[in-house]
Amino acid sequence: MQRGDVSDRTPLRDGTMAVGSRRGFVAGLVALGCGAGAGAGLGAVARGSEVTARLRPPGAGRQSDFLAACIRCGQCSAACPQDALCVVGGWSVLLGGDFAGYATPEVDDPRARPCTLCPEHDAMPCVAACPTDALTDPGARDAVYMGTAVLNTATCFAYNGVTCRACWHACPYPGTALAFDERLRPVVAAEHCVGCGLCIHACLTEEASIHIAPRREQAARGGAA
Amino acid sequence: MIRRVGRFGWSRRLTALAFLTLIAVGGRVDPGWFTGTAAATEIGGVLRLVDPLAALESSLASRSLGIDVLLGAGLLLGFAVLMGPVFCGWICPMGLLLDLNEGLRIRVARVLGRRGVQLPAWHLPRSSASRLRFVVLGGLLGFALVGRWPVFQIVSPIQAVASSAAHGVTAMLALSAVVLAVDWLAPRIWCRALCPLGATYALAGAFAPFRVRVDLAEAGRTPCRSCTRHCPMGVPVMEEYALQGRPSVDALECTRCGACVDACPSSVLGFGVVDRSSSGGNGRRSGKTDAPRSAVAEPAREPRKVCEVGS
Repeated sequence: MQRGDVSDRTPLRDGTMAVGSRRGFVAGLVALGCGAGAGAGLGAVARGSEVTARLRPPGAGRQSDFLAACIRCGQCSAACPQDALCVVGGWSVLLGGDFAGYATPEVDDPRARPCTLCPEHDAMPCVAACPTDALTDPGARDAVYMGTAVLNTATCFAYNGVTCRACWHACPYPGTALAFDERLRPVVAAEHCVGCGLCIHACLTEEASIHIAPRREQAARGGAA
Repeated sequence: MIRRVGRFGWSRRLTALAFLTLIAVGGRVDPGWFTGTAAATEIGGVLRLVDPLAALESSLASRSLGIDVLLGAGLLLGFAVLMGPVFCGWICPMGLLLDLNEGLRIRVARVLGRRGVQLPAWHLPRSSASRLRFVVLGGLLGFALVGRWPVFQIVSPIQAVASSAAHGVTAMLALSAVVLAVDWLAPRIWCRALCPLGATYALAGAFAPFRVRVDLAEAGRTPCRSCTRHCPMGVPVMEEYALQGRPSVDALECTRCGACVDACPSSVLGFGVVDRSSSGGNGRRSGKTDAPRSAVAEPAREPRKVCEVGS
């Protein structure tokens, strides 16, 4: 084979040759730009599509903001001392159409493993572990907004004539987030409930008579989705 | 087809296996000093590394840039700026699986070859393949900006391997299996033509001084093409670099895996730092003449042995 018989070098206008990496770099940037246009078009189509609301770790914002920033690394789940966070990742997630939610963290079973908001730690470990802005420090624990507790008055003991204060005792903000009415029945104050799920864990009925409606696109507690 | 796995081949399999083992141990045993997946890792409770493509997608989608992302991804990109896309060749868990897959494929091809059956080996033309990677990368970034999902963090076959090792999140492993299956028909098409993470590192490392250097005094004496045939990225190392009088392999695709260095029966190829002051730091050289030998920092060595043509 003769030296120089296979040439991939194109003469530049000034007669010199571009080294492969420089030419490749510029070609790469051009290709990247073309792809970006196509991707932006697809993104415009996908934008605003319905996402499944899940009970996200404390420090998460709106579902869509969380899904945008989360890189699905699982560091929050690994850091959780309560083992409350799991990484969503079964076939059911994909087959159920929750493509965007794949490999994201959620408090999957607050009945068994609720989020305690880690009062023993200065900073919440999940928030500290998150490398992106998917989880940010809410400032104070009572500023956390994961969701809102919803009572099932059909099964709740207190609504059926039996005195029970299990949820009130478990609630980190008793009296504000969870208060009693004049007949000693629990009432959730949506503007104060952080949505941690400790009440679900404590509930004494066979099936918990309280659940958390995860935060969707609300900007603030008690607001409309 | 003959494939030799030399010292760099074994070394890079070991480093990639070590990374995958760390991920599995960190996720399941919690040694206390390592947690992470391919997207982000934390070492010793201090050093945080963030996959640069994950960082880009997340920042574009969330319109924010935290200090962790900036530092964690910046460290890895900075490393690539100096060393080239070494992640691909030495760390990537998918690359490890593709390497092992290739070993299997070659053995099967050898057995079938004795019976006169040829395995298909379809290749995209190199110029299209190298551009397609960047189109994919651009598409993901454009989608992240407008659609607000870091899509590759969901569908990445690389992260699928890491994430199943660490957290048992396995559904996307199907995609990794597809990549491995397609590899039997079109070898390395994932790395060569599709992987946007490889494209990210390739752009960052486009002008990295650490390269495969060519000993021009020895180049071309025994044009055996071993280097070209062994390059997993399909770079024609001999035809476009060694025989063109280029002192280093400047291909954007080069992952510094060392397969060509391992394969070279002579001492034409080796790793080295390209002295940019004499090879033209702005990336231009004049004419088609051979570059001065001083363009490579390491002096030329005597050849170890002479190979048979076509060995």
